[in-house]
Amino acid sequence: MAGANRLAEPHGLLIDRSRTIDFEFEGEAYQGFAGDTVASALAAHDAWLLSRSFKYHRPRGIFTMAGQDSNCMVTVNGDANVLGDVEKISPGLRVFGQNYKGSLRKDRRARIGRFSRFLPVGFYYKTFFKPKGAWEKRWAPIIRNIAGLGQIDTEAVPAYYDKQYKFCDLMIVGGGPAGLSAAKTAADAGAEVLLVDENEALGGALNYARFAVSSDAARDQRGEMVAALSAAQHVEVMTDAICNGWFSDNWLPVIKGRRLYKVRAREVVLCTGVLEQPAVFHNNDLPGVMLGSAAQRLIRLYAVRPGKRAVVLAGNNDGYAVALDLMDCGVEIAAVVELRDEPVYDDIAKAVRAKGVKVYEGHAVYRAISTSDKHHLKAVEIRQIVGQGQCGQSGERVSCDLLCMSVGYTPTYQLACQAGAKLGYEDNTAVFSISGLPESLHIAGSVNGMWDLQEVLRDGEQAARAALRRLGYEIKVPPKVVNSTVSPSFGWPIFSHPAGKEFVDYDEDLQLADIVNATREGYEDVQLVKRYSTVGMGPSQGRNSALATARLVAWATGRSVAQTGVSTARPPFAPERIAHNAGRSFYPERHTSMHHRHVEAGAQMLMAGAWWRPAYYGPSGERDRCMREESLNVRNNVGLVDVSTLGGLEVRGPDAGEFLNRMFTYAFTKQPVGRSRYVVMTNEHGVVIDDGVACRFHDEHYYVTATTGGVERVYQLMLRWKAQWRLEVDVTHVTAAWCGVNIAGPKSRQVLATLCEDVDLSAEAFPYMGVREGKVAGIPARLMRVGFVGELGYEVHVPQHYGERLWDAIMEAGAAEEIRPFGIETQRLLRLEKGHIIIGQDTDAMTHPAEVHLAWAIARKKPFFVGARSIAEIGKQPRKRKLAGFVVNDLDAPIPLESHLVLDGDKMTGRVTSCYFSPTVGKPIGLAFMTLEQAIPGSSVTIKSTGGVFVTAKVVELPFYDPENQRQDL
Amino acid sequence: MQPTDQPRRSMIYRLLLENGAEFETCQDSAVAMRYPGNAAEAEQSQSMGIADLSPLPRIGFKGKDTPLWLKQQGVQLPETPNRARKQSDNCLLLRLSDDEHVLLGDLTLRSTLVATLHQSWHFQPGQMCYLVPRADTHSWFCLSGKHTSDMLAKVCGVDLRLHKFGNGEIAQTSIARINGIVVRNDLGQIPAFYLLADSASADYLWPCLMDAMDEFSGSPIGLATLQSLIARAA
Repeated sequence: MAGANRLAEPHGLLIDRSRTIDFEFEGEAYQGFAGDTVASALAAHDAWLLSRSFKYHRPRGIFTMAGQDSNCMVTVNGDANVLGDVEKISPGLRVFGQNYKGSLRKDRRARIGRFSRFLPVGFYYKTFFKPKGAWEKRWAPIIRNIAGLGQIDTEAVPAYYDKQYKFCDLMIVGGGPAGLSAAKTAADAGAEVLLVDENEALGGALNYARFAVSSDAARDQRGEMVAALSAAQHVEVMTDAICNGWFSDNWLPVIKGRRLYKVRAREVVLCTGVLEQPAVFHNNDLPGVMLGSAAQRLIRLYAVRPGKRAVVLAGNNDGYAVALDLMDCGVEIAAVVELRDEPVYDDIAKAVRAKGVKVYEGHAVYRAISTSDKHHLKAVEIRQIVGQGQCGQSGERVSCDLLCMSVGYTPTYQLACQAGAKLGYEDNTAVFSISGLPESLHIAGSVNGMWDLQEVLRDGEQAARAALRRLGYEIKVPPKVVNSTVSPSFGWPIFSHPAGKEFVDYDEDLQLADIVNATREGYEDVQLVKRYSTVGMGPSQGRNSALATARLVAWATGRSVAQTGVSTARPPFAPERIAHNAGRSFYPERHTSMHHRHVEAGAQMLMAGAWWRPAYYGPSGERDRCMREESLNVRNNVGLVDVSTLGGLEVRGPDAGEFLNRMFTYAFTKQPVGRSRYVVMTNEHGVVIDDGVACRFHDEHYYVTATTGGVERVYQLMLRWKAQWRLEVDVTHVTAAWCGVNIAGPKSRQVLATLCEDVDLSAEAFPYMGVREGKVAGIPARLMRVGFVGELGYEVHVPQHYGERLWDAIMEAGAAEEIRPFGIETQRLLRLEKGHIIIGQDTDAMTHPAEVHLAWAIARKKPFFVGARSIAEIGKQPRKRKLAGFVVNDLDAPIPLESHLVLDGDKMTGRVTSCYFSPTVGKPIGLAFMTLEQAIPGSSVTIKSTGGVFVTAKVVELPFYDPENQRQDL
Repeated sequence: MQPTDQPRRSMIYRLLLENGAEFETCQDSAVAMRYPGNAAEAEQSQSMGIADLSPLPRIGFKGKDTPLWLKQQGVQLPETPNRARKQSDNCLLLRLSDDEHVLLGDLTLRSTLVATLHQSWHFQPGQMCYLVPRADTHSWFCLSGKHTSDMLAKVCGVDLRLHKFGNGEIAQTSIARINGIVVRNDLGQIPAFYLLADSASADYLWPCLMDAMDEFSGSPIGLATLQSLIARAA
């Protein structure tokens, strides 16, 4: 059985009666048709209670039937907060309501609603902050236990989500009559059109609303328009796809299924239609109370009869169309409650009246009355309107199980407002209007204030033509369409009740008094009302509450609605999953060509920027042992480290020397070919920002290295200054083109010599800081004598794709000498022993050269280099700190770590920048910023180490190892 | 043969081996020639395939005197930047800017133009035409088949649809958040794009592309398959 409320054809546009589907709701078995939503399938079985409200746990059911409210939020297969009125049923689906303790029908927390008068807006702010500490210990656990929407499944397996770009000339948001008209117009002109609609079927209101006395008129119109569009070229249609925002330059995110489409459109036409608005009265949230359009959707889309005996609350003629639809499917119309006291009836309304339906003109629904279990509507009380929002003292009770509200609309303005449009409000029509759109954004149809179907169609065509003209099409643009019909919005469908429960915001259970009280607390601006009361902050983001809130704030503060406005409409338009944003995120990684050799050798890899680098080789729990063995092997034997991540820049041209002279602190024009020179880069403030070496291979050719993390910045600065100085020089970023190793240790020459036939490696022929080109293991290579780790050593750079072969060759050649690789942790230890700094680790954003022993690297006779002026000025000031070396003689003391504080009594005077236990020195050594007085060799300083232990360190001269440089000069 | 038999190795040869690639010598490197386990390799190239061409020759030149020097070597230059021009021996010259060019070797491996230019070029004082080691700065992939544009739309923000991005056009852009050069170079009637991207990121990029093409049942193809497409087109 697919339900006792199921209607016969032609109702049920979206269902397939040939396929039944079994599913569960709250543990009970149900059956629906393919195409049914959870809500429609349940409604077909007279099951109207879907979920509970967030705060008072009030029973909730179908309200918009369009995914525009939180009343239908259910948990589907463990997935919380799914919109039950749009979620399709599927075989075996397990659905549960939300926000209850016990069962959906017998929610133990429903009693909270009885105390609502004691829980006014701002209650939490005013109550739970005292006594001191009570919030965290007492209240927060209770409230957090109760709060929250649904239950998260912490065992859920992440699904695959991804993203894709899309491009089009013209994107049309909304596939209703205006959108269809615009799309057809644009496609006929030859433009590439992307039509996006959040619904399953194109047609918009044509799918469910009644535009004429004949029930077939809208269906026929829809059929013709969809068929015409299907035959058109250049149109891509995306249904079940929601455009969730507008960003600069017509960048529009569209979500369909598990994919986020990032659409770039040259022009956009918004045909987003309108959102029907509820009336505000006592118990307006009872299941059985729904928008008129919701009832029409149930009937036309899902063939479900929404009730048996209905009252229609009408503030416009659309309510009569609802009544006519209900009558057509056998629903008894108990009454039409007409808010207007002097309505102008159209043909549909006249047809309803002609059928003898009782119409209460100038009346309102004062309250809805529930069944004894409070789960559904039983009756309404009708009273005469005696003033704005005021009813007479007595009324008439009318039994019904369905109340349809048709009292007005707001344009779906969110995307337009995100694009910068202004929202106006006309008191005489009681509707918002949109103006001030960007030139490439157009609106058409009911969102543009058109209510007559023919005018909507013409407006769609007009907007498309305006967009086409901007796209360069020679096309005539007709004058803007002017609305000729009466506004369908009633000005004040809000009626207070002494017992409250006139809900303005269903998401947050905010009542009429909550909004008014917020203004009385002094929050008169609608933005403040939102933040204080949380109105509009729930899942429906104010789509059903913004208008009523604006009206109430305006009334309470003595302003007009236009002056009050609505709160800012920010993306996303509808709730979206974090997975949609996270899906297919890209996190680039870089590997050197020797990467896999490190992994195979058991290296512990760490990330340095995007690069993966070997920290040390061995088990992760044996870092200190591995580092000790690796470092001693370099000191006593020979080691190999991958330095491919170092930045590489080719600087070539007649002015290359002059260029380097200006970029770096040292002098380069007289640097001999075949030699390298240490380079320090400072910024305009004289702050040290990078270092490396410049290898001169030709009068007009330098190969400049930079730090792994700093090369991109150095390259950008070089390009910037090159453009400014207009020197004859070319800079090429070749970091990825070259890989490199540093073979270091007393036996490094011996090992390298076995692989290098065309370069004389002797100390005399290839001295320290020399550079050569030749072949290593038959691979074209650049060789540099360096001393970063303080031993005889050579950096060998070869083209990237030869890196693995180079590594293998050196490891094989050095096997007899027991060569072993060392990681960058060990390299950092070795350079520390030698007193060499690492830019970024031993410097900060204020470090100038003299503070870190780099005064020698400044060529003061040069007329200019970047930062020279600042360094000169800084040099005139008394220095306040210095990077000094220290040792810790107490081997039982916790070894200081980077950023541990250097103290002078209670005063913080500096911080540790590097510190390791040195196997060579036999104790912990480190570098730290400290005062000049503290930095005097031989003095003692206090370092606050791990666990707050105060460690005494002795300041020593740098370097810690081989002060005569005898090892690297071998 | 194994890729490790040669000194020069593609950064992703391990991934290709995992996919069952069969390699053949290409100068001092080894190129994935075919995937014997994939019986539908030829059809794959017309639907959605990816080939690693990183071992193939290529070279770059940069500097204000580059256009003149290349013309002196008999190279045909595209008239504007971001265009590619096929040479008489099927090499493809990419003009990245007014003074920066990349020459990609032909897929049949018959051309010697890359090697010739390499040998002809010398560092000459005052002449601002500098060699750029494009064979090492960038890995070189070929994406082929009718779904290529759709696949690229999942990793690249440039409109690369066939009717918008013509044959011979170049986009210097971001691919899966790394810098890349996209060149459309159809193989006969089969849409094809070359993708040149940071060689150090090849291990990262290849799986990204494989993941993106999974939706289209894409898979790796060998150079031999591309060569057969070229032969068929000729």
